[in-house]
Amino acid sequence: MLEYIGPALQQLFTFENFLWMNLGVFIGSIFAAIPGLSVILCIILFLPFTYKMTAIPGMMFLLGIYCAGGYGGSVSAILINTPGTPHAATTMLDGHPLSKKGRTKTALRIALYASTFGGIFSALSLLFLAPQVAKIAAQLGTAEYFLVCLFGLTIIAGISGKSLIKGIISAALGLLISCVGADPLTGYDRFTFGNARLYMGLDLAICLIGLFALVEILGKAEGKVGPLKLDTSKIKTEDKITKEEGKRMILPAVVSSIIGVIIGIIPGTGASMASWFSYDRAKAMSKHKEEFGHGSVEGIAAAEAANNAVTGATLIPLLTLGIPGDGCVAIMLSALMINGLNPGLSLFTTQGDIMYAIMIGLIFVNIFMFLQGRYLTDMFAKIVSVPQEILTPIIVMFCFAGAFSVNKSYFDVVVILVFAAIAWIMKKLDMPTVPILLGLVLGNMTETNFRRALLLTDGNFSIFVGSWYCIVFLVLIIAAISMIIVNKMKEAKKGVVK
Amino acid sequence: MRDFIRNMEEKLDSMGAKLEKKEITIPTDLAAAAVFFVMGIVLLLLVPGQVTVGKDEVVSGAAFPTYLCYIMIGGSILVAVKDILKIARKEEVDTKTINTLVEVKALIIFGILVVFWLICRLTGLFVLGALFCAVSFLLFFRCKKKSYYMITITFAVGIWAAFRFILNVSF
Repeated sequence: MLEYIGPALQQLFTFENFLWMNLGVFIGSIFAAIPGLSVILCIILFLPFTYKMTAIPGMMFLLGIYCAGGYGGSVSAILINTPGTPHAATTMLDGHPLSKKGRTKTALRIALYASTFGGIFSALSLLFLAPQVAKIAAQLGTAEYFLVCLFGLTIIAGISGKSLIKGIISAALGLLISCVGADPLTGYDRFTFGNARLYMGLDLAICLIGLFALVEILGKAEGKVGPLKLDTSKIKTEDKITKEEGKRMILPAVVSSIIGVIIGIIPGTGASMASWFSYDRAKAMSKHKEEFGHGSVEGIAAAEAANNAVTGATLIPLLTLGIPGDGCVAIMLSALMINGLNPGLSLFTTQGDIMYAIMIGLIFVNIFMFLQGRYLTDMFAKIVSVPQEILTPIIVMFCFAGAFSVNKSYFDVVVILVFAAIAWIMKKLDMPTVPILLGLVLGNMTETNFRRALLLTDGNFSIFVGSWYCIVFLVLIIAAISMIIVNKMKEAKKGVVK
Repeated sequence: MRDFIRNMEEKLDSMGAKLEKKEITIPTDLAAAAVFFVMGIVLLLLVPGQVTVGKDEVVSGAAFPTYLCYIMIGGSILVAVKDILKIARKEEVDTKTINTLVEVKALIIFGILVVFWLICRLTGLFVLGALFCAVSFLLFFRCKKKSYYMITITFAVGIWAAFRFILNVSF
């Protein structure tokens, strides 16, 4: 590891990298602060810009957006009781009540300090854990890899909607879409309908623009979003975090960061789960339980530390196994692969300098997030009130330009329109779309390893129970499915009682 | 001109009020099961014609999509059976109310997107399509503020310029 640090620092410390880091943090904070826009949408829209960049600045830019998204969502949650991102809903529980007490600045500062702590803790976890996990990953064979993919798909299918089966159907659809184009083993074409443009398959970024970005635009049909009235003068009040409050923040921030890292490593989980779980833990551990829900310092610190502690941890399965921890990093995978960086142990050996530069860069991203949060929050808060009438056409233009720029073809614009229509229909049918994303990302890897494993045994399925690793992963899959089913049953019972 | 706009808005409002009253409630699980069951069958039927298979392949390129179609069909049947059992037991099923006005508005937005694509495709000028997009969305939102028109049009040109001159995308 140490031998890569020197060259990595040399590659990292350039003006270009720091510029993109800051730009990413700035844009990410704005997108996350505006309710209705999301970090995933921001990453999708700006992904085409990274295609022209080399690996380090490209990843710094995307990681800047991703990390700032963790903090940015809390701005609107605290100020206007509307979470900018889904995971900021937890911050809202105590952030807004504290703001209503006239302590807006304190609430924003707690969120910022906890986010930075969680983010740096997560970046350090990535730096030290990823190479070790990569060594284990190097011992996995094709059957094991297939089961790891299955594990990721199962979890995301289970937690991203009301029904596990509907999640599995969505994941199957994503995997089927990934089959379009050349067969990864033989090169024969599949589902191309004689269209040569489909031979190379559907580009991930293009599918995602339709599935997640344009469908938001169609969603504007559901109701007129009024302008958000915001009094930014509240932020300027000179209240500070007291010493006692500072002390009370430490334990929940540390515990939540650990929880965030653990949850982040599990593929398909994400920041929302981490922040709710951490909030619950912080409440259980607190000596001031009565304050929770009424402006608790610990509540804000726990939620924010957890959702930012996920950011580095989600990269661990991505960089070592090629399995994204959540939807945002799934998109980053294409930015890595376009630069010839394929996940696995080789990433930490042959391209160690680049990899370590990216991992160390994540620490700096969090530092810049802190600095921008410290000095630009007033501006982020003002941007929250940008009218939807202006934002909507701008997002559409970005979607079209982004889709066209990938292959310089208007055929791709048709593809995004088709995917937007699919996503709209799925929304009406209460079908989750996130499993499609994971299906698209893992499709090639899942199929290749599935078929290679069967080729090795002449079509005998016993290879999938042929090693201890396989058995461990199978047990994990069964345990995950059981837990999901039990949770869904509990939720259903609660619903009946209500 | 002002009278014309006011008349148009009044007409649109009365049309909207009528459409808003028309609602259909669908059992979401049953509807989703039907849609994905049909999709699974269609894709399964497409596999032999759309997937080229080599000779003597142990696991051909058709195997994986075929299994996925089976999962989709099987899953749909499970979802449908679950919902049918709920209905038989007279339990509450998940439903969604589809409002005609919302769907018509979504179709209009989709129409704007299609026209945006057509303008770009036929003229080869992205900036022209972007200008159409900016104006048509503001009209859709019935925006009367001139400053909003100025801002979005500036952004239309700005986005085109950023992609054209920074990313070297010629459109």
